[in-house]
Amino acid sequence: MPNDHDKAVYPEPPRQTPAVDKQTALPNPALILTKLFYYTVDLPVTTFRDTIDSIRSKNKLVYYHQKFRRVPYLTECQEGDFTCYYEADMQWRRDYKVDQEIVKVVQERMKACQQREGHSYQQNCTKEIQQFNEVTKNFQSRYGDLGAYANAKKCLMKQKERMMAAQAQSA
Amino acid sequence: MVGMSLLRSAAAFAARLGPLKAGNNAANILARTIPRTNKVATRWGHGKKMFVVKPTNYYDRRFLHLLRYYILLTGIPVAVLVTAVNIFIGEAELAEIPEGYEPEHWEYYKHPITRWIVRNIYDSPVKDYEKVMAAIQIEQEKGDMRLMQLEVRQQMRHHGDGPWFHVATPDKGLIDNSPKSSPDN
Repeated sequence: MPNDHDKAVYPEPPRQTPAVDKQTALPNPALILTKLFYYTVDLPVTTFRDTIDSIRSKNKLVYYHQKFRRVPYLTECQEGDFTCYYEADMQWRRDYKVDQEIVKVVQERMKACQQREGHSYQQNCTKEIQQFNEVTKNFQSRYGDLGAYANAKKCLMKQKERMMAAQAQSA
Repeated sequence: MVGMSLLRSAAAFAARLGPLKAGNNAANILARTIPRTNKVATRWGHGKKMFVVKPTNYYDRRFLHLLRYYILLTGIPVAVLVTAVNIFIGEAELAEIPEGYEPEHWEYYKHPITRWIVRNIYDSPVKDYEKVMAAIQIEQEKGDMRLMQLEVRQQMRHHGDGPWFHVATPDKGLIDNSPKSSPDN
């Protein structure tokens, strides 16, 4: 069966099912329905999956996540060295994708927290909300309005504008 | 069944009575009923056979038949292949890269068919990267050469000692000095 999610990152709230205190002799319809569901849906699906896994377990393939070497950034390239520009641009694109995924993960955590806590989420999830706000603010300031044809040079120019604005503000 | 044959023979006998009268053959006598005009037909079980005149659906049926045929001709083998691959080979699982091991470029993909395509049909991403870098380097060298050529031309024209701006003059040994040796002639 596939792995469960990380319990430390997405903790489950404590279970609130009361202890069984049967006071009637009538059968519990909820119990009947769960047993029905188990025998008609859960058991066939699980056995099917187990048979397919037993066929597959003879040749198990693996795949890896590629690790890329770091190359000099755009600021460390000689002027007119277009191959250096290209490598820096590719590295910037990979970093852009990684940052998008980071934002998605942080957003997922906040959504999960809100779902868990219910109506008291603003109180209980302050850490996740604060982390999400910080991460999205940083992402917006770095990659914000670059558009669909963004590249490393445009991002560098945006950074330059940011630094100029900060200097003008502090001066 | 015996009754049926009796009826049939009776009908044949009756038909023999007036063979030339229309509507008097054996089938007609058996089949025709007494017309009842006071009762309306509410349930028609097996009624009279009608020839319904409607436009042809031959071309439509032929088109749909051919469509199904040509789609399923390759559709079914592809579906069988993909199902067999998914059941018998199965997708890859994520693992950490072991120490000192450099995975091949196809080992970064999950589905076995994708891995096969990347291994046998596509070039490796390293090769693609190098191809782009080679194209960029060629264009860069061309651009640099052109700029340098312009600069060199400017310098040679300015200083006057570059080989591009030499005008070829004939050799001084070819000058015929004989008209100059007798002036005022």
